[in-house]
Amino acid sequence: MHEDSPGTTAGPIPRPGAADREAARGEGISRPPSWPRRGTGVLLGCGTALIGLAYFLVVGTALGAFLLWPRTRPDALGVLRGGARRLADLERARRSVFFGDLFPEHYKASDPKILRFLAVRCYAGLLSAVVLALLGFGAVLAVLLGRGAVRGSLDWTELLTQVLLGGVLLFLDVQGLFSLTALDARIARECFGPSERELLRRRIDELATSRAAVVQAVDTERRRIERDLHDGVQQRLVALAMLLGRARRSRDRDPALADTLTAQAHEEAQGVLTELREVAWRVYPSALDSLGLEEALGGVAERCALPLRIDFSVPGPLPQPVETAAYFVVSEAVTNAAKHSGATAVRVRVTRLGPVLTVRIEDDGRGGADPSGTGLTGLRSRVTALDGLLRVDSPLGGPTLLTAELPCA
Amino acid sequence: MRVILAEDSTLLREGLVRLLVEEGHEVLAALPDAVTLLKETEEQRPDVVVADIRMPPTHTDEGLRAAVEIRERWPDTGVLVLSQHIERNYAAQLLATNAERVGYLLKDRVAQVEEFLDALERVHAGGAAIDPEVVRHLVIRTTHGDPLARLTPRERTVLEALAQGLTNAAIAKKLHISLSSVEKNLNAVFDKLELSHTEGYSRRILAVLRYLES
Repeated sequence: MHEDSPGTTAGPIPRPGAADREAARGEGISRPPSWPRRGTGVLLGCGTALIGLAYFLVVGTALGAFLLWPRTRPDALGVLRGGARRLADLERARRSVFFGDLFPEHYKASDPKILRFLAVRCYAGLLSAVVLALLGFGAVLAVLLGRGAVRGSLDWTELLTQVLLGGVLLFLDVQGLFSLTALDARIARECFGPSERELLRRRIDELATSRAAVVQAVDTERRRIERDLHDGVQQRLVALAMLLGRARRSRDRDPALADTLTAQAHEEAQGVLTELREVAWRVYPSALDSLGLEEALGGVAERCALPLRIDFSVPGPLPQPVETAAYFVVSEAVTNAAKHSGATAVRVRVTRLGPVLTVRIEDDGRGGADPSGTGLTGLRSRVTALDGLLRVDSPLGGPTLLTAELPCA
Repeated sequence: MRVILAEDSTLLREGLVRLLVEEGHEVLAALPDAVTLLKETEEQRPDVVVADIRMPPTHTDEGLRAAVEIRERWPDTGVLVLSQHIERNYAAQLLATNAERVGYLLKDRVAQVEEFLDALERVHAGGAAIDPEVVRHLVIRTTHGDPLARLTPRERTVLEALAQGLTNAAIAKKLHISLSSVEKNLNAVFDKLELSHTEGYSRRILAVLRYLES
């Protein structure tokens, strides 16, 4: 129980995703405050428990009749809960000040949860008071025993028995005190922050959502590839075959025309090859594997219709999935800027701070990008699949700023 | 012949126009979508309309819908549609009323210049031109218990050729067999498929196609 200091959790805790980060601040391991401070907190806890007990007794008695009467029940419950909330806020402040607990700011516990917390909290606080009183009583006894031993009014067998018995009782008492402070910490965490179970559930929800989104993104991607192949490469191949067919048909009728057509077909074949290379690059830039992110982004700049400035300052290698995601965020954002924003220039910054790679894409276009559009949704799912965050800031009239934060761990 | 084209790929449209002009046909209009197709057809009354199925704005089946409407309103205008993929129900919609002056080709067939021109001629002449690949696809779908499973390989090839819209003489030429042999095989096919063979040849194609789709 000892190592279960306030603000930390026993047992493995799921790695919080982006959505949990704020909530999970309560789970962060902070340095526990000093002993005297925590001791004061425990003593105060006994006081607040007494207040809580008094509240339950007085208000409960006063409201008892109204609570039983169906018509007045909701109002009476409202009054009871209002007070309970204030008391709970007091407890929360006590935990934060004396034990250094960090609770998520916007987490709001339900009323039944608050009442339950307060009941358990009062019980634990009162029990702590009893245990502390016993400790004090034991200390007084020990002093008396010591004085008796010094004066010699005790024989040694009696002294030994007393010491042995006192030692056991002291151990039990201290053990109880530790357990109670641990309980106090745990119920506060359960009430004022998402519980472990809740964190897990959120994480599962988040994973389910991102998994579905990933599948969706893959399908969208495939559709795009199909369109690329069909609208580009295939049409050109058909046109090329037609040129050759025409050349063959006109060979006897008009040899000059046949020559011209053959030359055109030759040119067209080169065009098809270029197109195919472009399509393949859009599907997956092989430079990413062989030369890394910086080179691949250079390729984006080459293909971009707009002037594109890239600041790339990433020391050391990056994990492959992060590189790929960063690449697609940039290429998609740049394509969007070129297509829809009417921008004249785009600026890309890729930086790494500690374990997080940040990608910023800024254009001077007219803004109004739709964060729920297919392109941005696809990007978001790509980023959240890596537990990253994608922010789109695109007020009407521009400029548009896209920020992706990708954890590299 | 006088032709109107509707095809969204500029490259293909231009190629088709050139090809048709070289072959001595007259291209009345070459359109990038199906929107103006009906208007142009009404005004110019071409002999044949060639239309891509998948065209802007929705890239689904506007070309086909325009083709079906043209068939209803101007029955003596031939319609040849080009399809990206084999879509059985597109073929079915197109052939729902009759199998005269109608063609359904895979887009890639245009690459086989002769076959495309041949199909165009056949549609113009009042016949049907169904892409061999489409026919094969329909025939392959047959399972055991299907009357088609009872056909001999030879009968099957004759049926495929027939479904493409070839005349008996053309089938004989294509398969290098005598005309009487073609007729004999066809009679066997119609017996096995329980189709009356007193109808005109295009109706027979329709019947076969419908049968294959059932």
